[in-house]
Amino acid sequence: MKHRNQMTRIVCAALLAILPGTVLAKGDPATGKEKSAVCQACHGLDGKSIAPNYPNLAGQHESYLVKALADYRAGRRTNPIMAPMAANLSDQDIEDLAAWYAGQDGLKDLSIK
Amino acid sequence: MRNLIISAALLAMSGLALPTQSAHAGDVAAGKVKAYTCTGCHGIPGYNNVYPTYKVPKIGGQNYEYLTAALKAYRNGERHHSTMELQATSLTDEDIEDISAYFASLGNDN
Repeated sequence: MKHRNQMTRIVCAALLAILPGTVLAKGDPATGKEKSAVCQACHGLDGKSIAPNYPNLAGQHESYLVKALADYRAGRRTNPIMAPMAANLSDQDIEDLAAWYAGQDGLKDLSIK
Repeated sequence: MRNLIISAALLAMSGLALPTQSAHAGDVAAGKVKAYTCTGCHGIPGYNNVYPTYKVPKIGGQNYEYLTAALKAYRNGERHHSTMELQATSLTDEDIEDISAYFASLGNDN
């Protein structure tokens, strides 16, 4: 019985180890650009927003964009505009959109000066 | 009649010009000092948030109004992130405006 528990633990650990690599299919920027038509209405042609109340997305970290869209879709992050936009996105849509915006030139990393 | 048309045109133009004006309440210099804490996470290129793991968002050159809205949403509990909610609880409206003005000023094209 003890041996079996140990095996279960090893199998679980192995599954957890491969999980981060398999959950996210790699985003395709070109496909993301095609899918971004509705986003452009507020976030601009290439992720530089048309008005200051909308965030710039150009150059944002890909993993943060994925997290933000997934949070909107799940209702963890609430916004009356973004909730319906994100509701029908697939995981692949989110990956593609994030890849597109992350690849644009825009937001800057801060540096401590 | 002509004056009326010119007046209407001027009014329309001033109305259009309003949203692009960047006049806001924040003080960039004061914001730079207040933002020192923020650089602990947002100032390290590629720094990872954990559980779930994703990169801490870039905020250099982000829009002023978006930044103030985000900080206020963290402060009043509308937006959730344990670190950010704790950071925002101690900020006054003026702090939020100054910090936002500083980060917004760092963009090349804003």
